[in-house]
Amino acid sequence: MGFLDNSGDIILDAVLTDVGRRKMADGTFNITKFALGDDEIDYSLYNKDHASGSAYYDLEIMQTPVMEAFTQTNAGINYGLLTLTATDLLYLPVMEINKKAAVSNTVVTHGTFANVFFVADTTSDTSTYLLESTALGDGKYFMVSGQSSGPGVLLEGGLNTTTVKGTAANRTTYLETNNLLDSYFYVYYDNRFISSVLGSNGSAVFNNSDAGDGTVTLNYSLARASSVSTDLQLENYSAARISAPSNKIVYNAAYNPVDTSVSAISGPRSSFAVVSVEVKPTLDAEYSKYGFVNKDLFGDGNLYDYLDTTLYVQGASTGIQTQIPLRIIKYKS
Amino acid sequence: MVVINYESLGSTDVTTTKTLLHESIPLTGTIVTGTYKESGETETNIKNYTHGMFQSVYDYPYLSSSANHIFDMTVGYAKSSTLSGAVSAVQESKKINMYNQFSQVMMGYTSSNNTIREFELDLTLDQTGSMKDAFFINFSRLLYKDEIKPGTFNMTLLTGSWANPGSSEQKSASGSVLVIADASASSNQGTTNTLGGDYGVLYRRYGPNGSFTYSGATGSSDLGVGIIFYQAGIIALSTASFDGTPIFNSGSILSGASPTPMTVAQSFSSASISGSCNALRKRIANVSFNNSTQINSTIYFCRVPHNKYNYTANPTYLSSSQIRVKNVASDTPVSYITTVGLYSSNNELMAMAKLSEPLKKDPTNEITLRVRLDY
Repeated sequence: MGFLDNSGDIILDAVLTDVGRRKMADGTFNITKFALGDDEIDYSLYNKDHASGSAYYDLEIMQTPVMEAFTQTNAGINYGLLTLTATDLLYLPVMEINKKAAVSNTVVTHGTFANVFFVADTTSDTSTYLLESTALGDGKYFMVSGQSSGPGVLLEGGLNTTTVKGTAANRTTYLETNNLLDSYFYVYYDNRFISSVLGSNGSAVFNNSDAGDGTVTLNYSLARASSVSTDLQLENYSAARISAPSNKIVYNAAYNPVDTSVSAISGPRSSFAVVSVEVKPTLDAEYSKYGFVNKDLFGDGNLYDYLDTTLYVQGASTGIQTQIPLRIIKYKS
Repeated sequence: MVVINYESLGSTDVTTTKTLLHESIPLTGTIVTGTYKESGETETNIKNYTHGMFQSVYDYPYLSSSANHIFDMTVGYAKSSTLSGAVSAVQESKKINMYNQFSQVMMGYTSSNNTIREFELDLTLDQTGSMKDAFFINFSRLLYKDEIKPGTFNMTLLTGSWANPGSSEQKSASGSVLVIADASASSNQGTTNTLGGDYGVLYRRYGPNGSFTYSGATGSSDLGVGIIFYQAGIIALSTASFDGTPIFNSGSILSGASPTPMTVAQSFSSASISGSCNALRKRIANVSFNNSTQINSTIYFCRVPHNKYNYTANPTYLSSSQIRVKNVASDTPVSYITTVGLYSSNNELMAMAKLSEPLKKDPTNEITLRVRLDY
C-alpha cells in the first residue's frame, strides 16, 4: 500500500471496502453516515515546547505520510475522532487491567508469562495440573473456562494520572459532569475458540469504603454476557456486552491500603468490570492449527496444548479500550 | 475497535453526477501486422479459429498472458450483393451469415416481412446507398470502453498493391494512402440512431494537405466509404474503398490454390474470410480514436461542525490520561483527520477515503470533506 502524494493540494483517495462491494453485489449498498479517523497520527510528536512557537507545534504531525485507502474493513478506522461537548477537558479516561495482587478473586499474570492471561480448558483435568505446576501453582494465575465464581480479569476505567486525586469529588468534576462514564463495556472475542464471554453484572461492587478503612471489597459473580451485533470489522470476531458498574475505589488520606495499591487507576475512577470466557468444548483441531500441541510449557514434564488469542474491550460511551491477551491451555499428558 | 461517534448523512449531503472521461487510443499498423511475424506468414499475435468466421488481433503474441485483445475482423456480404452466388465462392454461407449477424444486431429489420435491413453509407434509413459487402472491425471493449467518441475516429489505409501496399497505385488526390474519418459526426450532430446505437458515416479525405475535404468514395458528400457504430465499437468498411486497388490480395492464403492476384471483389468472393482479413490488416497503417467512459459518481459531503470531532480515541492522544495537545484545560483541543469512513446504518464500513495529508480540526473551524465514489 503506497503513500499518497502530499506534495500538492490535499486529495481524497476513496475506495469501496470488501464489505461495500459485497453489499453492492447483493443490492443492499446504502451509506447513511460517516466517521473520521486518525490512526496514522502519533500525537506524541506534538511538540508544545517547540522553540519557534505554536505554529510549529504540529509540524511533524502535519508531515505524517498517509497510506492509500485499504479495502479491508479491519484496516479501516480503529479508534476514531470523538465528539465531546466540553472544549476545556484536559484529561480523558483510559481503561486498565488491574493486576494488583491485593485484590482477591482476580486473575493476574505470572512473572514468567507476564504478557498473557491463562484460561484453563475444562477438559482433561487441566486446572488440577496447572495448580500442581511450579509456574502457575496458584488459582490467581489462571481463569477456568466458564467458571461463574471467578477469578476473572478486573478492568478499570478512569483518569490514570497522579495529578488529580481519585476522590469522589474529582470523579464528579472530571468524569461524571463531562459524561465520561461507561455503563457498559463491549467485549470482542474470537468465536473460533471462545463460545461466550462471562461478565460481572450491574450489581457487582468494587470499593474501598465499605469497611471505612480502605479495605478493598470486590463482590461479583460471572454470567454469560448478551451478544450484540456491533461489528468490530474483524473476521471471526463476535461481540458481547457486559455491565460496567461504578468503580468506587477512592482516595482518602486516612485509608490503608492506599487507593493506588488496589487500583490500576491512579486518579478518579469511572467504571469497572470483571471478565472471563467460556472456551469451545472441542478445540483439538484449533490447538493444532492455530497454536501448539504437546508442549512442556512449564518444564515440569507435563505436556499441554495451547493457543493464544486476544479479547478487545471497549467502553460503550467513551471508547476507552484495552486488549486482553489470552492463552487457552489444555493438559494433554 | 468500533468507532463511537458517527455523523449522519442527510439528503442534502449526497448528490450524484455523471462525467464523461475520454482517452486517446492510437493504434499503429505495425502492431496489427508485421511486428510479431514468425517464419513464413505466421503472425503470433493473430488468432485464427477453426470455424474460420473471424480473426482476432492482439497487441502481443496471444499465447502470452500479457497479450491484450485489440479487435476482431471479418468480412461479409448480403445475399442480395452482386458477389453472392459466384461459382468460385469460398465460405459464402459464412460470409452471408456474418453480414446478416451484424446487420441484424446493428440495423434490425425492415418491412412487414422482417427483412434484415442492410447497412447504408449515409445517415438516412431509406434503403438507398446500401453497403452490401463490407469489412467489419469490432474493437475490444478494453479499447473503446463505453463508446468511441463521435468525430474522433481516424483510420489510414494503404491502397497500393499486395506486394507493396504503400506505393501510389491508388490514383486519388489523397495519394497512396486512404484516410478515412467520421468527419461529419460530433457529440451532438452528424449521427443516426439505430438498433445498435448511434452510427456515423466514414468519409474519405480528398485534396492536398492543408486544404483537404472529406467526402465519399465517388466524391459525393452524402455517401461515405463505411460507417461506425459508436456504442458498439464496430466499423463496417465498404469494399468500394479499395476499388482502385488492382491487386488487393495475393491469393496465397487459398489452401491448395496457386497464388492468384485478386481485386477486392475477387478476394471477397474467392478468398477465405481470414485471407481477406489478412489483406486488409496488411494495409492498416494507423487507427486512432478517443474512447469514452461514463463515470457515475455519488458525492458525499461530509460536514464536520466546529463543535464535533475535536478529540480522538487514538491511544497516543493521552499521556497519563492527559491530552497531549493541551497544556492547560483552556487550551483548544486539536485533532487531525486522515481518514473518512462511510458506513451503513448497521455500522458496516462500506467505503473509505484517505486524505493525502492530515487535516487539522479544532473548535474554530468547520470542514466539509467531499468524498466521491465512482461507479
